[in-house]
Amino acid sequence: MSYGEIIENSAQRLQDLTRKGSMVVGYLYPHTPIELLMAHGLTPSLIRVNPSVVAGFEDSLQTFSCAFTRNIFSQRANGNLLSLSGVLFPGNTCDALQNVADVWRFRFPGDKILRVTYPATALTEHAVDFLANEFRFLSDNIAKMFDRQISATELADAASIVNDFREAMQFLYAARVYDSNAITYSELVSLLRKFLTAPDRSVVDEIAERFREIRQVLEKNGHLNSADILKDGLLIGNLEKVVTPPSNEFPRIVVVGGMVEPQAIASIVNNLDGVSDNIIALDLLSFGFKTVFTPKTLIPPANKGTKPIGAAPEPSYEGPFKAMARAVLQAPLEPTQEGLTTRTEFLKQLLTKIGVQGLVVCEQSFCDPDEFEAPSLEKAAEKAGIPSLRFPIDPELSDRGRLEGRLQTFLETIGEV
Amino acid sequence: MTEEKAYRRLESSKELQQISFQHMLEGHHASEEGRLAWVTSGFPVEIPVAMDVGVVYPEQYGAVVGANKVGPMVCGFAEDIGYSSELCSYARASIGSILKPSESPLEGLPKPQALLACNNICGSVLKWYDAVSELTEAPVFLLDTPALDVEQQPHHIEYVRHGIDNLIEFLSTTLGSTLTDERLIETAKLSSEAITLWQKSLKACKAKPTPLNCADRFLTMAPVVSSRGKQYCVDFYKTLYEEVESRVKEGIGAIRDEKVRLLWDNIPPWFQIFRFFNGMAQRGVAFPADTYTHAWSGAVEADDPYTSVATVYSNSYLNKGLEAKADKMEHLIKDYDLDGFIMFSVRSCKRYSLGQMVTREIVTERTGVPGTIIEGDMVDSRLFNEAQIGTRVDALLEMFV
Repeated sequence: MSYGEIIENSAQRLQDLTRKGSMVVGYLYPHTPIELLMAHGLTPSLIRVNPSVVAGFEDSLQTFSCAFTRNIFSQRANGNLLSLSGVLFPGNTCDALQNVADVWRFRFPGDKILRVTYPATALTEHAVDFLANEFRFLSDNIAKMFDRQISATELADAASIVNDFREAMQFLYAARVYDSNAITYSELVSLLRKFLTAPDRSVVDEIAERFREIRQVLEKNGHLNSADILKDGLLIGNLEKVVTPPSNEFPRIVVVGGMVEPQAIASIVNNLDGVSDNIIALDLLSFGFKTVFTPKTLIPPANKGTKPIGAAPEPSYEGPFKAMARAVLQAPLEPTQEGLTTRTEFLKQLLTKIGVQGLVVCEQSFCDPDEFEAPSLEKAAEKAGIPSLRFPIDPELSDRGRLEGRLQTFLETIGEV
Repeated sequence: MTEEKAYRRLESSKELQQISFQHMLEGHHASEEGRLAWVTSGFPVEIPVAMDVGVVYPEQYGAVVGANKVGPMVCGFAEDIGYSSELCSYARASIGSILKPSESPLEGLPKPQALLACNNICGSVLKWYDAVSELTEAPVFLLDTPALDVEQQPHHIEYVRHGIDNLIEFLSTTLGSTLTDERLIETAKLSSEAITLWQKSLKACKAKPTPLNCADRFLTMAPVVSSRGKQYCVDFYKTLYEEVESRVKEGIGAIRDEKVRLLWDNIPPWFQIFRFFNGMAQRGVAFPADTYTHAWSGAVEADDPYTSVATVYSNSYLNKGLEAKADKMEHLIKDYDLDGFIMFSVRSCKRYSLGQMVTREIVTERTGVPGTIIEGDMVDSRLFNEAQIGTRVDALLEMFV
């Protein structure tokens, strides 16, 4: 399926849901507590950039608002987001998103706007408390705005769906590092997109089916244990125990960046001569890896039932808002947060451990976090002895021919080394 | 016979030069002693100052780079190592000056031993200071003051309050400094005194003609940014206020023939600061108020300085939403009896600038006065199209004829 067809399918799915009476709330930041929205009876849907969007922001935003926000804003200005019942913006992440939410409120006064403000500090108990309070406010606002109350049962069910999704996707991400033929990058991110467009149990079941199949494949080729170790290592940001995969695919790359669409990367790579997306060992993108590798939200099941004999001891639970906040803050760090050194050290370790030949550093125009971080990521790759390529990619893929040329040349260069 | 200039030079400028020099010397001295921090302009500087930590301001240094008209060159040094030209020019200027101090004004800022960032002015400061940290090896401390969507909530105050505790611990560990309540209260008092005097000078500009023009305020704001908590800062603002008061009493304006009174929004183009505002003065246009210099308005209260720091510094102008910005502009226009406004859309500063297009509509609707938006940058003169800006300003001024 092409990138365009995938976008169309997602839109169609949302329209079907709306027709059936679902209230769909769009969100923009990958670390949104979607289980909370689901528990309120809403369908959280990640608002994605659309490469075919025609500019419609000129009377509201300057051209130096980042490419991501301009694309999303244009979609709204052009009437392409009409099926949404509300939009959830993040606060304290980047200046563009911070201000665009205000501009949106003014330009589209009929839209229901929610906001969650995130701490920029790395994980501390104070940050967890702050974010837990923000989630509590969000829950109260949803209840008022949409007249949808929350219940412990619904929250437990929603958390279970989200946790199952994360666990299966985490394994699929790790599995590809050892056997990228087991599941293509396009299929991986397509499953991811399907869930994030409209998360429900049926999509998780579909992902779980692939999870079981691929576990069998890796068991047969002897990589299952290594993939499990890598999955656990990626989750905690420590790759010491990771086994370097055999270099049977060559060259292989890691793609790093912020709020870049993974599907766009897959589409560009698959369009290159003689190249498939098997070359992508792993992405470290906000809407890919960083979304997937959020730890489980530890919320107690609503109806615990009888504990089976020999079952693992129950984790100690904290309040649901705190549990969601902790999970979010334990996710891989975004460039808008503290922790540049942690991120660059992790990248160095990763590049060395998973045996890749190149790093592609994506950056969207006028994206401060991407553009500030890119030189540090390049340096980290250099220290790991891995060549890197700066990849200026915009949602519209307006410079696609040149981007493909750059990437093709880079792959040929690292393939010859 | 010399031609009479359209603007009047402030006598206080002489003292300003002296204390700027003193501030610079203090910075070098602190660096040599291993206790210098680079700080962002919205940082609660009362705490490091009370802990005897020397402070210098990369944003002010950016203004110096701009005023010296070497922005493109110094920013270019940062671009050479991979920092995009789309990034903040204050950040690029400071990174550039670290890379090539001998080719930068004042040979750059003295070497820091700590980097103190507070994100109440923008989200880029953390990224910027991370980049500086990679080059200087000085550790970064972030005081996180999440942007306010509504009124500051108790959990927000609590979070920032803990951040202040962490700051004190960071400075103790990194620089071996200590803090006593007495010293903090004393510093907070001096800081508040300077801010109160500064605010009095700003409010005096309600007079017609205005005793201070935009360029006057942009230059004389330097000590309230960089030297809050110091006695010489208070002394300077006493001198300035005396001069301002005297001008008001005698009916002496900052410009000789005030015909139109406008509001300025945003940071100024430092490389054009005299040329632009004095050019406007020649046409009888004065700027009795601006949103930038009015941002230094929150005084820390001495009775509970820690909580006061957490509230004052979280409620800064740039840490609030578009509605608060529109309110501020509306009040300034009404209080200072202004005829219109110019918004400088600064490509470097997204926090300040994105939203200006709708703010203009809101402010005009509420006040009935016209405004225009001109686009450029505060340091990087490559982004300043003088002819295009001239056309926009002319169109605005025609409305007042």
